[in-house]
Amino acid sequence: MLTFIRKRSVASLFSLVGLIVMVFFLSRMTGDPASLFLPVEASAEMKQQFRELHGLNDPMLVQFGRYVGDVLTGDLGESYRKARPALDVVLEAFVWTLWLAVTTMSLVTCAAIVVGSLAAFRAGGFFDRAASMLSLIGASVPDFWLAIVAIVIFSINLAVLPTSGTGSLAHWVLPIAVLFVRPFGIIVQVVRGSMITALSSAYVKTARAKGVRSGPIIFIHALRNAMLPVITVIGDQAASLLNGAVVVETIFGFPGVGKLMIDSILQRDFNVVLAAILVTALAIFFMNLLIDLAYALLDPRIRH
Amino acid sequence: MTVSSTRTDSLSADEPAFLRRMGRMLLADKFALVAAVFLVVMVVLAIVGPAWLGEEALKQNLRGRNLAPFDWSRDWFWWFGADALGRPLLARIIVATQNTLLVAAGAVLISAVIGTFLGLLAGFSSPRVSQAIMRLADVIMSFPSLLIAVIVLYLLGSSILNLMLVLSITRIPVYLRTTRAEVLEIRERMFVQAARVMGASSRRILFRHILPIVFPTLTTLATLDFAYVMLAESALSFLGIGIQPPDITWGLMISQGRQYLTNAWWLSFWPGLAIIFTTLSLNLLSNWLRIALDPTQRWRLEMRGETRG
Amino acid sequence: MTRSLISGALMVGAALLSSLSPALAGSGPIKIVLPEEADLLEPCMATRSNIGRIIMENVSETLTELDVRGKQGVMPRLAEKWEQNSDGSWRFHLRKGVKFSDGSAFGAKDVKHSIDRVMSDKVTCESKRYFGGMTVNAAVVDDNTIDIKVNPVQPILPLLMSLVTIVPESTPMQFVREPIGTGPYKLTNWTPGQYIVLENRADYWGKQPSVTKATYLFRADPSVRAAMVQTGEADLSPSISQMDATNPKTDFSYLDSETVYLRIDQNIPPLNDVRVRKALNLAIDRKAFLGTLVPEGAVLATALVPPTTLGWNPDVKQFPFDPEAAKKLLAEAKAAGAPVDTPITIIARSANFPNVTEIMEAIQAQLQDVGFNIELKFVEVAEHETYYSKPFKEGRGPQLVAAMHDNSKGDPSFSMFFKYASKGTQSGFSDPKVDDLIQRASAAVGEERAKLWSQLIAYLHDDVVADVLLFHMVGYARVSERLDFKPTIATNSMLQLSEIGIK
Repeated sequence: MLTFIRKRSVASLFSLVGLIVMVFFLSRMTGDPASLFLPVEASAEMKQQFRELHGLNDPMLVQFGRYVGDVLTGDLGESYRKARPALDVVLEAFVWTLWLAVTTMSLVTCAAIVVGSLAAFRAGGFFDRAASMLSLIGASVPDFWLAIVAIVIFSINLAVLPTSGTGSLAHWVLPIAVLFVRPFGIIVQVVRGSMITALSSAYVKTARAKGVRSGPIIFIHALRNAMLPVITVIGDQAASLLNGAVVVETIFGFPGVGKLMIDSILQRDFNVVLAAILVTALAIFFMNLLIDLAYALLDPRIRH
Repeated sequence: MTVSSTRTDSLSADEPAFLRRMGRMLLADKFALVAAVFLVVMVVLAIVGPAWLGEEALKQNLRGRNLAPFDWSRDWFWWFGADALGRPLLARIIVATQNTLLVAAGAVLISAVIGTFLGLLAGFSSPRVSQAIMRLADVIMSFPSLLIAVIVLYLLGSSILNLMLVLSITRIPVYLRTTRAEVLEIRERMFVQAARVMGASSRRILFRHILPIVFPTLTTLATLDFAYVMLAESALSFLGIGIQPPDITWGLMISQGRQYLTNAWWLSFWPGLAIIFTTLSLNLLSNWLRIALDPTQRWRLEMRGETRG
Repeated sequence: MTRSLISGALMVGAALLSSLSPALAGSGPIKIVLPEEADLLEPCMATRSNIGRIIMENVSETLTELDVRGKQGVMPRLAEKWEQNSDGSWRFHLRKGVKFSDGSAFGAKDVKHSIDRVMSDKVTCESKRYFGGMTVNAAVVDDNTIDIKVNPVQPILPLLMSLVTIVPESTPMQFVREPIGTGPYKLTNWTPGQYIVLENRADYWGKQPSVTKATYLFRADPSVRAAMVQTGEADLSPSISQMDATNPKTDFSYLDSETVYLRIDQNIPPLNDVRVRKALNLAIDRKAFLGTLVPEGAVLATALVPPTTLGWNPDVKQFPFDPEAAKKLLAEAKAAGAPVDTPITIIARSANFPNVTEIMEAIQAQLQDVGFNIELKFVEVAEHETYYSKPFKEGRGPQLVAAMHDNSKGDPSFSMFFKYASKGTQSGFSDPKVDDLIQRASAAVGEERAKLWSQLIAYLHDDVVADVLLFHMVGYARVSERLDFKPTIATNSMLQLSEIGIK
């Protein structure tokens, strides 16, 4: 197991380096931070001075060399916009994103497995049709639409929840509820699909033939087998949440990493963009590691 | 073993009979039938829409802006109301069908084909290749997809093709991982082992035995991705970097109607409904397809078809 | 997370305490919701609106202040009076007994340091842009007197000093995150991404304001901001969307000093032909936008600066909507050999102002109706800048750049050089008469100054037809009924808490 983790870490380190190199150069090709930091009326000298102060006048390779040097000593640079270490800015936001992602995904996973399995047990039945329809509609509703409608209903008309922001547990309800909908719709579908396959597969039939009549036992057997594709999709959904829920963060004023990343690239605050990618990529790496471990636990045949 | 070989035979042996059989099975499932009809209509609209209603969809009338829907006294394309520039929404939705379906189908197809191919490869080749492919998936997966989309669209400009590419890249890992996971599971099964013992080539095993089994899960994923891509495109419009007017897609229409949500709900409601119906139809159809292609389940549809007619 | 929960609990606790203690009539804390968070609270960046709205004159004060509510012009703030010396420099007599929030006393050395800091090349201060092409030297005369010498001589230096925030002498030559100022408030809590809190200072030199504490919140979505004031989660939102401004008791419109226009690049045919430029102006039905895509209260523009600006010319008349005349001019230009069929591109910035997409699509349609061949291109802010400012790209086609310009400072000099002079970075043409007028007006004072600006405005509009001027925009504010506050033309860039009353 340890060798496995070590191998994965080395491989992932390479991918991470590739990612950083790519974003470093690509983002710098998209525009000049000086003209965004300063107003259009600022003189050419002022813009020149800004670039000078932040080392943006040097050739890109020199800038890259300096960046690598700094990163190796643990310094991810400073945010031009905020005049403070980029890593601080990112970690502050990432804590919020992490909590949001973990809470939402836990709720989604539990709910989706229950609903999806029940739907698969009587495929084609009323519950199945209803669950499929609702989850699909959920998965196809634009999130900003849902967010604004939720605010109108729960905060303005019923006045039971705060519109937006942070501070109390009640503030978490609407963002989580809005984020819940899409992954739930998708995972229910996948659970349902792979449960149907699993329930009709040979060994469940064998178990039935052998006289195992008890529902729960069949259910657990089938579920265990059906979990592989489900875990993949859960991982995929969790990854996109860890990368930030831009729309939900924007509307609810939730200080997560998604909006930070988009704002930073809009303002060409390169160090923040890179630090954010680094942090979220690391988080996703650990999540992938967990997923692979889950694979191995669920299916002894896939031991690496 | 026998199961899968009879299936492949029936797929290729007798084409007309196969189609007739499928048609009969489609008639047996009313939901799937409606879905299929809806999708055909959508595809037709996508092809003829811009040529047919292109002019109506662009004609502005500032005095008739945000016209409420259900005014039956006007021409039919006004029945869904008008947008902020007084353009008929129904006509715009029809014209937008082309771009929307093009972007969504393109992105889903590209990601599904590449992802599935790499997944099969990863599941079947040496551990070294498999590892390389999986790490590639990790890199793509740890991309913050919207961020990459923003950077790439800044660099390349926002066109339908670029949008397709950007949206598809980030979806590849899902297909890749799912396919590989299924392959790893299936290849240990009896009939694959047996085929291998009997000397079947890897390619034959891959395409004849494994792909058909992986296929249903992949269609489910692709269907859901269809909705995802349409919405992701709408989120790009929300950030101001999606399709740029005067080009239109449903996603752009939804995001343009966002600010009128409390006073003129119809602006974003109808295109939203179009997305929901399209996804729903695709999903119903894929559920039907899953049963129709599965020899052990097929009897359900055939029984119903026979009893009725 | 834990930290934020704790601070959240503290906030709730503080709120409880303050509601328990018998509040003085007409004073108390308020909450303000803004569209965009301040990424810095650096005093020398206070001329940027997202920063200025929070600290300008609240935390950091200036020597002078422009009266935006009345007609008093430049008023004293930290300077009590000023006069011009014989050599053209200005002498400012400073207020006595003023203290910074860190306890140090305010004096001439702080003013000198503040000016040096703005002009320094070790920090990039935004306010430096108002001093483009000038050298500024401050000389301390005594503790409460300072001479400021500017080369070339600046007749409007007192107005310029309303843009330089005063920091204590101890402020380092780099951006600070905790501004120290002489204002009625001090920064007491800044939790990035969540809120900024200002609290009043008992030792403020002036009158104690009725707002004792202001909590700033940030929400990007306009309908959420409107909802927050409605539900009582906030007391004031200086900008909500026109669509949401439906309650006359709480929602006020105000001219917000932003002017929308299409900059014409006259270097490329057919836009070098004045008939074509006139045709562009005549083809647009500006009135049809009012109350539809542009708020009802917006004003049709005849100049790039709003009507409250010195030298704004009431005699200049807006181009009428006359598609027939436009067609005729276009035909004449074509007969004279101008390539009027060349596609002209309108370049606009996504999300630049409310309804920008719809407004540009409508303008495109109106221009096409008279026979122009118009393409529309939306770009994001950084790319927009490359079209808007020099150096322009070689080999470009004819372009109209849609832009929004903000001048709430009361004098056209903050606009005219940049937008119209031959060397102006956003100028689409070069005209010696314009250059001469700008130079003379900038150096003139009083009546003469106003007259020259008026002349320039008329010449640009009627003879040069420099651009397609569209609207002076209005913003909407939602103000809770417990507050007594009317937004002004400066509200966009400065929100003085001391002007807010509590009922």
